[in-house]
Amino acid sequence: MRTRFLTLVLGAAATLLTASLPAAAHHAFGAEFDATRPVLLKGRIVKVEWVNPHTWIHVEIMKPDGSKEVWMVEGGSPNSLLRRGATKNSFPVGTEVVVDGYQARDHSELRANARNVTFTDGRKLFLGSTGTGAPPEDSFPADKAVTPSK
Amino acid sequence: MRNRLVALGGVLALAALLVSTVIPAAAQSAKPASKAYNPPRLPDGHPDLQGTYDLATITPVERAAGTPLVLTKEQALKLETARAAQRERGDQPIDGNRSAPPKGGDGSPGAAGNVGGYNSGWLDPGSVFTVVNGEKRASLIVDPPDGRVPPVTPEGRQRMAAFAARPTSDAQESNDPGLEKAPGAYDDPERRPLGERCMLGFGSTSGPPALPDYFYNNLHQIVQTPDSVMILTEMVHDARIVRMNAHHLPKTYRLWLGDSVGHWEGDTLVVDTTNFTDKTRFRGSTENLHVVERFTRVDDKTLLYRFTIDDPSTWTKPWTGEYAWPATDKHIYEYACHEANYALMDILKGARLRDQEQAAKSTK
Repeated sequence: MRTRFLTLVLGAAATLLTASLPAAAHHAFGAEFDATRPVLLKGRIVKVEWVNPHTWIHVEIMKPDGSKEVWMVEGGSPNSLLRRGATKNSFPVGTEVVVDGYQARDHSELRANARNVTFTDGRKLFLGSTGTGAPPEDSFPADKAVTPSK
Repeated sequence: MRNRLVALGGVLALAALLVSTVIPAAAQSAKPASKAYNPPRLPDGHPDLQGTYDLATITPVERAAGTPLVLTKEQALKLETARAAQRERGDQPIDGNRSAPPKGGDGSPGAAGNVGGYNSGWLDPGSVFTVVNGEKRASLIVDPPDGRVPPVTPEGRQRMAAFAARPTSDAQESNDPGLEKAPGAYDDPERRPLGERCMLGFGSTSGPPALPDYFYNNLHQIVQTPDSVMILTEMVHDARIVRMNAHHLPKTYRLWLGDSVGHWEGDTLVVDTTNFTDKTRFRGSTENLHVVERFTRVDDKTLLYRFTIDDPSTWTKPWTGEYAWPATDKHIYEYACHEANYALMDILKGARLRDQEQAAKSTK
């Protein structure tokens, strides 16, 4: 059933999105992350792994029951960030951030893709110097957004 | 940012002015403009091709059927301006109190695979069309003249169908779960794409042929001596050594990047590469892939890179592309891809989880 649902969703997406920009990645995002597990993470940076092929930002969040969890969120290559002047120290431990994405298909891991990483006021941590192969970040309808159940 | 946009517009307008005034005069000459240029030379008398080059461009490998190779100045400016505007939009703040993205995926296509890619800040895919002979080009391919890769031979089609589950070195990542259609695509790390495994750069950035990946880290560096030329590719940290005036290795020697030998034809460095492995498989080619690259310094800041691809068991005829390699002051950084390739582990572990879910369903 889930497969059929996904097929439906993907079919509809393929029909709607006919003109995508050429884009490739180190890996298929959809193979690593689970579209049925959206997450919104609000917390503070506790560690930045400044490594290839992807940066991983560790964000500590407070769960509704008051306990804490540390999530790792995947970003792009530090090489391209370095070239625009960002360094590992640009995002100090303690910085409050908001991350939206999808959890890894391996649900035993607290990992997600970093579709957007912003400060709490919505400003983006990483400003692009060039275009993006990804769709507009805020293109999904807010009224259909689902808060994650963690 | 707006200032940058205005500056970009100004530069493009200036470029357009230069093109319109300078190029017709050059075009009247029977010889390409590059022939008139006398490049800086090394002590051995050959042109100095050394430097770091940023291959990022928005010109695709192929162009739409029936469209011309050369974009008009107006077309190019419009498309480049649209790209710049898209970039600017991508930098705008979004709602700090936003919700999580929608369950079931956000509908994003291609490599973003329905879970979204990155905000534009992560990426560096280029912003302008490549310029060759003063022309803004709509495709890298110049031969066949229609700008399309020639048809695949019946033998090639048969082989590719048989190997459908084995992604090629330049594989555009599939919109998952599309890859699941290939039986066993997640069963073995060696069935995963070479880029995902950190073996070679995706999109043929490692080359040969060295192509832009339209994503990020498109830097290459050339270091040159009379005996050898090294081409360092940022992704995935590959150094290809071209042995000058040498014979190819015996056919029993097979290399991921092939065996490259070079010679000079006038002021052009010609690099001939054979002896690929049967794993590289550029666009589905065999290990008999033959790539000829031609590097010509056309001005103080630009190399012209031309490549011809031949594999009679894959394509009905050879095909050729060309694009500019603009020199850059940017630094190449080490891309130690295995250092933190958590993605491959996540993908395979995720697949095992799906296996368990399937098994649980089928026993119910």
